[in-house]
Amino acid sequence: MANELLKSSQLPGVTRFHWQQLLGPILVVIVLTYLTSGVSASFSYLTEGTLALLVMVLGLQVFIGNSGVLSFGQAAFAMVGGFASGLLTVPIKIKENVLDGLWEPLKAVNMGIWPSLVIAVLVGALFAFITGLLLMRLSGLAAGIATFALLMVADNVFFNWKLIGPGPQVMPQVPKFAFVDESLVLAVIVIVIVYLIGISRRGRLLRATREDALAARALGASVWHLRVLFFTVSGGIAALSGAMYAHHAGAVTARDFYLGFTFTTLAMLIIGGATSLWGAVVGTVLVTAIGQVLLVLEGGVNFGSVEFTLPNGARGLVIAAALVIILIWRPKGITGGKEFALPFLKLKSTGRQ
Amino acid sequence: MIQTILDALSYGGLYGLAALGIGLVFGVMRLVNFAHGELIAIGAYLFIITIDLGLPISIMIAVTGTAILALLMELSVFKRLRLAGPSVLLIASFGVSIFLQRLYEIIFGALPISGQIAPWMSGVIEFGDTTITRGSVLTIILALVLLAGMRFLIENTTLGLQIRAASSDFQTARLLGVRSNYVIGAAFVFSGVLAAAVAFVLVTQRGSVDPLFGINITILALVGTVIGGLGSLQGAALGGFAVGMTISLLNSFLGNYRVYTYTWLFILVIIVLLIRPSGLISNKAFKERA
Repeated sequence: MANELLKSSQLPGVTRFHWQQLLGPILVVIVLTYLTSGVSASFSYLTEGTLALLVMVLGLQVFIGNSGVLSFGQAAFAMVGGFASGLLTVPIKIKENVLDGLWEPLKAVNMGIWPSLVIAVLVGALFAFITGLLLMRLSGLAAGIATFALLMVADNVFFNWKLIGPGPQVMPQVPKFAFVDESLVLAVIVIVIVYLIGISRRGRLLRATREDALAARALGASVWHLRVLFFTVSGGIAALSGAMYAHHAGAVTARDFYLGFTFTTLAMLIIGGATSLWGAVVGTVLVTAIGQVLLVLEGGVNFGSVEFTLPNGARGLVIAAALVIILIWRPKGITGGKEFALPFLKLKSTGRQ
Repeated sequence: MIQTILDALSYGGLYGLAALGIGLVFGVMRLVNFAHGELIAIGAYLFIITIDLGLPISIMIAVTGTAILALLMELSVFKRLRLAGPSVLLIASFGVSIFLQRLYEIIFGALPISGQIAPWMSGVIEFGDTTITRGSVLTIILALVLLAGMRFLIENTTLGLQIRAASSDFQTARLLGVRSNYVIGAAFVFSGVLAAAVAFVLVTQRGSVDPLFGINITILALVGTVIGGLGSLQGAALGGFAVGMTISLLNSFLGNYRVYTYTWLFILVIIVLLIRPSGLISNKAFKERA
C-alpha cells in the first residue's frame, strides 16, 4: 500500500549528470525572467516575486520529491528566513520607532542584504535540522500532520512574540533588491544545488527509500539520517525564499507564510510534478501565469463592446481545481515527474536509468 | 470554576463531533478530509439563509444540504482517487477545501453574513450565586445526544457494522461482500450530518458566517482525529474531545499568555505523535509500514 506521497515505481529519477537537465531549466528561467521583466515595472515586480516562489518550490521539491514524505512545515522556515533577513537589514531608526518590543541586541544590528541572506539561510537550516531530528522519526500521515503542527507553532509564535519581530503588525522598510537580477542569480544557484544534491549518492539513496524503504535499508541507507539531511537543506532553501520575499516586497508579516502560501507552493510543486526539478520550474511558471491571466480577468476585460469580468476568488478557484484535476488525471504532474529533455536529443543512457 | 469545566466540556464535545465526522471518513478510506471545514461552512450558510422559514425547516435544509455536498465531494473527487495514498488524498482535500472557500466567496461574498439562529442558546442560567452560560450546557447536551446517536447507528445497525468492518480492514470487508462505494458514501453522508450539527452550534455562538468559517475548528478536529487514533472511531471522537478540552483549559490557565495557546497545543500534538505515531488508540490495520 502506498503510504507515501507520489511513489513512482518507474521513475527512480535522474542518476547521472546530464548537462541538458541542468541547463534546460536554468535557460528557461533566465529567458522567461528577462522576457517578462522587460515588459513593464509591474511585470518586473511580479517576476521577482515569482523567483522567490520558485526558490520555495525548489526547496519543497528537494525534500518532498526525493523523500516522498509530505511536509507542510517548510513555510515555517520561510517565515524564519524572512524575519531573520528582515530584522538584520531594517534601519536601526525604524526598529526603534516601530518595533518597540524587539530584543535589544537585535535592535542594534544592521547589515547589507547579502550577508543577511547568508545568515537567514543558516538560521533556517539550523531550525530545520533541530526540528528534523525529531520529526523525521515519523513518516506518512503522521509526518504530514506533525509538520503541519510545526507550521501552526511557527505562525503562532511569530504572530505574537514581539521580542523577535513586529508581532501581528508588518515589519516595514526592509531594503529592497535593486534589480531583478539578484533574485535571478539566487534562483539559478538554488537550481544548481537542488540538481546536484538530487543526483548525489545520498539523493539517490533517499529516492530509493521513497520507493522501497526496506530494500533501501538493506543497502545500508539510514532513512532517518537521509531525511534529516534533506529536510535541513530544504529548510535552508525555504529560508532563502522567505528572505528573498522580504527583500522583494520591502515588508514582511507572519501571515505572508501561512496556509495560503503553503497551499500555493505545494500546488505548484504537484501540478508541475514533484519528483523532478523541471517539474518544480514548470509548476511555478504555469500556476503564476494562470493566476496572472485570471487576475487581469478579475479586473475586467473588454472584448469589443462586451465587458467580461470574473468574480473575485476565481483565481484561487481555478488553481485549486487544477490541483485536484492533476491529482486525478496525472498524479505525477504535468512533466510526469521527468527532468528536462529536448525532444530531439534523446538521452543515451535512458535504458539504463 | 464550574464555568471553566463546563466550557471545557462543551468545547470538547463540539470538537469531538467535528473529529468524529472526519474520523468516519478516514476510517473507511484513509482520507484526512481538510474540506470538512467547508461542509461546516455550507451548513452555517444554509442555517443563516433559511432561518426565516423557521428553525425546524432550517435545520432540515442545512442538514440535507451539507450531507449532499459531502456526497458530491466523494462522487466528484475522492471516488476517482481510490488507489492514491493518504498523503495524496490529504493534498486533494486541501485543494477541494480551497476550491469551496473561493466558491463561497464568489456566491456569498467575502464579507461575513450575520443572522440570529437560536437566540435561546445565549444567556445565562443562575444557580444561587453561580451562573453558567446556557450555550455551553446546550452544546454538551447536543454533543452527547449526537454521539450517542452515532454510537447506536454504528454499533447496532447493519450499515454501522459494515462501516466498522471497513474501518478495521477495508480489503477483507470488501471480500466479505461489503459494498465499498456504498459504505464510503454513507460515511460521507454521516460526516455531513455531523458537520451540520457543528455548524449549528458555531453559527449560534458567532452569529455570522464567512467563507473561512470552518477552517479553524477543522484544523483542530483533524489534529484530534490523528492523535486520537487513526482508524478508530472512538479514538477520533476522544481525540477531538481532548483537543477541545486542552484548548479551553489552556485558554483559562495561560491568562495573559493565552495568545500562545496554539503553540502549546501543537507542541503537545507533536509530542503525542512522536510517542505514538499511530495515535493514542491505535488500530493495527493502520500502523504505518516503515
